[in-house]
Amino acid sequence: MPEMTYRDALNLALKEEMRRDPSIVVWGEDVALYEGSFKVSRGLLAEFGEERVLDTPISENTIIGVAVGAAMGGLRPVAELMTVNFALLAMDQIIDHMTKIRYMFGGQVNLPMVIRAPGGGGSQLAAQHSQSLETYFMHAPGMRVAYPATPADAKGLLKTAIRDNNPVMFLEHELLYNSKGEVPDDPESLVPFGKCDVKRSGTDITIVAYARMTILALQAAEELAKENISCEVVDLRTLAPLDAETFVASVKKTGRAVVVEECWKTCGLGGEIATRIYDGCFDSLRAPVRRVSGLDVPMPYSRKLEKLCIPQVADIVAVVKETMAAKY
Amino acid sequence: MPQMNMVQALNLALRQEMARDPDVLLLGEDVGRDGGVFRISEGLQEEFGVARVIDTPLAESGIVGAALGMSLYGLRPVAEIQFMGFIYAAFDQLCSHAARMRSRSRGRFTCPLVVRTPYGAGIKAPELHEESTEALFCHMPGIKVVIPSGPYSAKGLLTAAIRDPDPVIFLEPTRLYRLIREEVPAEEYTVPLGKAKCAREGGDVTVIAWGSMVERTLKATEGYRVDLLDLQTISPFDEEAILTSARKTGRVVIVQEAAETCGFGAELAATIAARAILHLRAPILRVAGFDVTMPLPKLEDYYIPSVERIRKALDEVLKY
Repeated sequence: MPEMTYRDALNLALKEEMRRDPSIVVWGEDVALYEGSFKVSRGLLAEFGEERVLDTPISENTIIGVAVGAAMGGLRPVAELMTVNFALLAMDQIIDHMTKIRYMFGGQVNLPMVIRAPGGGGSQLAAQHSQSLETYFMHAPGMRVAYPATPADAKGLLKTAIRDNNPVMFLEHELLYNSKGEVPDDPESLVPFGKCDVKRSGTDITIVAYARMTILALQAAEELAKENISCEVVDLRTLAPLDAETFVASVKKTGRAVVVEECWKTCGLGGEIATRIYDGCFDSLRAPVRRVSGLDVPMPYSRKLEKLCIPQVADIVAVVKETMAAKY
Repeated sequence: MPQMNMVQALNLALRQEMARDPDVLLLGEDVGRDGGVFRISEGLQEEFGVARVIDTPLAESGIVGAALGMSLYGLRPVAEIQFMGFIYAAFDQLCSHAARMRSRSRGRFTCPLVVRTPYGAGIKAPELHEESTEALFCHMPGIKVVIPSGPYSAKGLLTAAIRDPDPVIFLEPTRLYRLIREEVPAEEYTVPLGKAKCAREGGDVTVIAWGSMVERTLKATEGYRVDLLDLQTISPFDEEAILTSARKTGRVVIVQEAAETCGFGAELAATIAARAILHLRAPILRVAGFDVTMPLPKLEDYYIPSVERIRKALDEVLKY
């Protein structure tokens, strides 16, 4: 399998799918001539032309609204929001239209559209460019939400997203674009939605994570292994549908769980995951489920403060140790 | 003491706050001449004039954005969003601006702003008019979320919200607007934000509800010995009252109208379990809406947690 970056894996997924299906179109701010703020759409305009790869004005509600209409009319739009932070300007189209239309029309229309949106913090871009808003989309029934951690998952999940007849919010972590990994080059190799991936097997404790938090969890697991703590790392891959079966089975085995989320803690997805674990493992849990979360504040600009607000490897290590030490 | 429904109680709260403080003003779609789609602001434009009760265009982002600017300059605007389904158009103003102005200005500015909106199911309106997505606003640091469950709490909480220095989302359960009448003091009073109310004291099970679900949960728990906590404010929520009761009973049922996944009930369950696990004698159960768009009228009654579903959960935790 060739090795490539997360960015190139996404780019390849777009190209393969656009070659396969002429109804797939790509649009967003600076996606065509400039080839995307993060260069995910590199080469698309040259290969597929300006009818299929469109630069839009800076108007997020319109970008998504037009995509909703185009999807109802039979195209398969992949709309890019320059960052997920700007989804806040399109929430009306996203929650009231994109997620509800299939249901409101009793299945008379499909809505095969994808929003691609880079997100997450860690580059000192402060409050309005560093948010992790994934939970908002999980509380919008009808929406599918994917958030890959590795280049292989990025490619396989984006292809599944594009082929799905439901609306998909496809999140990409900005700090992962340059990360490398092996990626299948078979254009028919897809990663299914609603399936967690156990990225590391272990016996003492389960760490449930997603996107960049999976990478940090794996690093924490490596450190903890030196102290003879065996961590199982479960990567959610899709947040909706949520594969509770896999992480519940893991916690039944280990008896302990830590959830790592980059978003704000209060009402974040970690609460849902913890609750599903309590539901499924009430009698086999040997310690309370701990959440390692973003702090409940707007993201500060200062590098030191930003670091305090985003979960770090050391935080995960510390909370895992505390959970292991808890006597019940 | 006069008997009132929630519409009258809210109207009186607005009238009294506007009379007390000339900085309080209202704005929203049809709040002025028409008196509001649910008549909450009836008669207020006549009494206080068009400069203090402002009819706006259909532009929710503009309504909240303008109100936010007013609040930064020292006014105390109460903005109405006609139905909760329309609040998403103002999401950026709320999340990116109102919620963090205090933090961004290092405490130099606050936003004494209230955004009122009718929410919830039960009036047989189509999809966008029956939203209960309160959890989205609890996942927004800097915003308070207040939900009354009856006329008395509606008046006291709205008064407290208007006097609060920070932005408050004030959710009014449409189904209860005219369903409940109770004694409401004619004079001004506040119900403190951030405090739960014990609506029923029993001791076998802790039942937690807010807003539209309190009335139904009161019915469902008749004949059971439960502590029924009406949260009144869900952000920040009254962790102390919840944990005290949960530690005492060891059994918890949460009743939420919203879709289950990532709803506010998940935060409650995760918090209670983390802080009181050794006291728990049964798993915490959520009785919630289903993970689908609010259905059309025929199916509405299947969607909203029913008395039967709540009792089933109570029986289940009691016999665990």
